[in-house]
Amino acid sequence: MATHFEIELEKLKNVIIKIGNLAEIQVSESVKALLSEPIEGKEVKKIENKIDKLDIKIDEICQSIFALQQPVASDLRFIMAAMQISNEIERIGDLAVSIINRSKNIKDKHDLIIKFEIGDLAKQVDEITLKTNECFLTRDEKTIGEIFVLNNTIKKKSDSAIHDIIAEMKSHSKTVVSGTNLVIVMKHLERIAEHCTNIAEYVHFMVNAKIIKHEKFDEKES
Amino acid sequence: MRDIKIQVNDLSLYYGEKKALKEISLEIPANKVTALIGPSGCGKSTFLRCINRMNDLIPSVKITGELLVEGIDIYDKNVDVVNIRKKIGMVFQKSNPFPKSIYENIAYGPKINGVKDKTQLDEIVETSLRQAAIWDELKGRLGDSAMGLSGGQQQRLCIARTLAVSPDIILMDEPASALDPISTSKIEELVHVLKEQYTIIIVTHNMQQAARTSDYTAFFYMGELIEIGKTNTIFTKPEQKQTEDYITGRFG
Repeated sequence: MATHFEIELEKLKNVIIKIGNLAEIQVSESVKALLSEPIEGKEVKKIENKIDKLDIKIDEICQSIFALQQPVASDLRFIMAAMQISNEIERIGDLAVSIINRSKNIKDKHDLIIKFEIGDLAKQVDEITLKTNECFLTRDEKTIGEIFVLNNTIKKKSDSAIHDIIAEMKSHSKTVVSGTNLVIVMKHLERIAEHCTNIAEYVHFMVNAKIIKHEKFDEKES
Repeated sequence: MRDIKIQVNDLSLYYGEKKALKEISLEIPANKVTALIGPSGCGKSTFLRCINRMNDLIPSVKITGELLVEGIDIYDKNVDVVNIRKKIGMVFQKSNPFPKSIYENIAYGPKINGVKDKTQLDEIVETSLRQAAIWDELKGRLGDSAMGLSGGQQQRLCIARTLAVSPDIILMDEPASALDPISTSKIEELVHVLKEQYTIIIVTHNMQQAARTSDYTAFFYMGELIEIGKTNTIFTKPEQKQTEDYITGRFG
């Protein structure tokens, strides 16, 4: 029979899974909004509100556990990581909403997306979000490694796309508004991938009691 | 809205001339665990013993104010104090099993309350030991002396003994302070389970234990009740500076 404390930890884990799933939906919707048609704003707002509420709930549960249960060892690492992960997920949700809103202002979106090969990049951001939720659930080292590699790929593609978009804006002034919005969307996609990487780092900390944030990509890979 | 089991109004206690409890007023909710914390000598155990009138046994004690259990003032002269102590059981810091068999320890209370039927006694013994989460450990040796049990087992036996007479309220005066960490953890988990059926008040000098086990916490200092509230609130944002200073270890 689970102890009272174990029940509290399980409750916390389930809330994080829930908020992660909601953020995954937001990212998936943002990729859809970017690559195909604009989506309904009301549903997006509803999910955003749910994410915000769950973020606060996670803080409250963690505060309560710290104060009342004095967790140590792996339990302590889990609670510490939980607070950080919730914060990262909340940011992912915000970025996804921003992408959805900005996508509406990109004229000739489909042509630009094809021209700058943004489709694959956006789908990889969808993929990294899915892998991040999976890695929290499974605590699997292989998945953590895949997230680091994917983040690196996304960063390189984003840099390349932004370089090309800027070149396009310089030569065709009519593309400046759309181009600027697209650059911001690229940076948002990049930031989502970075937040996913941060979450993977916290999961690594939970499992291995080793802090690897701020390490370079090569060090992380090893 | 919470159900109140015990209502205390301006309760004061004197040991001779010395005023040990000063106008204590509080409410103890039903089917919850209320922890009493505070430094040594603050009056928490003295207050606990007021609830089942154990302080009556001390000749120099005088009590003023009122203490109502389910609306009845237990210090009223018409109240049967033996019945009070049946309804309000107590577990002490040092476990005190009778020098009898495990079975007899549990059956003793029901027997002196008139239960004679062996089948009924057997059922009471089993139920009480199960409730105290010690049936599986002891079922094959009910005839053995209780004095041969470990400290943690003896304490759970004492809890079972209290439960055998069907109390409403269980008072625990530092029930785990003499036990090892594993036994302590078992007692704490037991408290969580027991509150479904009983109202529990626990005195502890171990703040972390109070935080882990209780729903409400009352902080006593020098005979006064400084603050009482939900345990979560007391340990995250207490209202009184004295409470904050105590729980953060700045004094006491």
